Amino acid sequence: MNNYEHTIIARQDTTASQIKQIKDKYSDIILKNKGNIVQTQDWGLMNLSYFIKKNKKGNYIHFKIKCDGSLIKELEKNEKLDKNLLRFLTVRVKNFDLKTNYFLKDNKTNEK
Amino acid sequence: MKSKKINSKKNKSSNFSKLSIFQPNKYKFKKTCPLSSKGAPIVDYKNIKLLKRYVSENGKILPSRITNISQKKQRELSLSIKRARNLALI
Repeated sequence: MNNYEHTIIARQDTTASQIKQIKDKYSDIILKNKGNIVQTQDWGLMNLSYFIKKNKKGNYIHFKIKCDGSLIKELEKNEKLDKNLLRFLTVRVKNFDLKTNYFLKDNKTNEK
Repeated sequence: MKSKKINSKKNKSSNFSKLSIFQPNKYKFKKTCPLSSKGAPIVDYKNIKLLKRYVSENGKILPSRITNISQKKQRELSLSIKRARNLALI
């Protein structure tokens, strides 16, 4: 069992319900393959620093997962085929820091 | 009031007395790694505020001889900057 941080970027024109669908879809895959979701973070709509597939912005979703390596293969296989996603990134970490969320403040200022 | 002023003057003079031509180099240049000390911020690909400090205007990674970062931290930094680039954060 390893600790992974998994981030995906969805297209800018996805609706809120679609984002929820995407979130549910991948958390389902994780749970089916005996993975543990420690935490999920919604970073929200953020500006991309360069264009990806003609998108200026992207919806970021961040998972913290405790699972085996085979699950990551399965996840990324599905994400490669998904047309709603722009990018994904998985990073193995030794310890999770669950307290800090670097993108929370940005969301609050946007809402105001 | 007067006494206070005198005190401040005294302090200043004492500070000046410390400066001399024969002082060791460490007072002139600050050459410690800003990320290795205690209580330093954690290098992470999500910590954009920190990473942006060590990237040039064109988005290039700054060399450690300019930023005085230790070799170990520079390796960590460059890895996390590349991760952040992949996610279009930088």
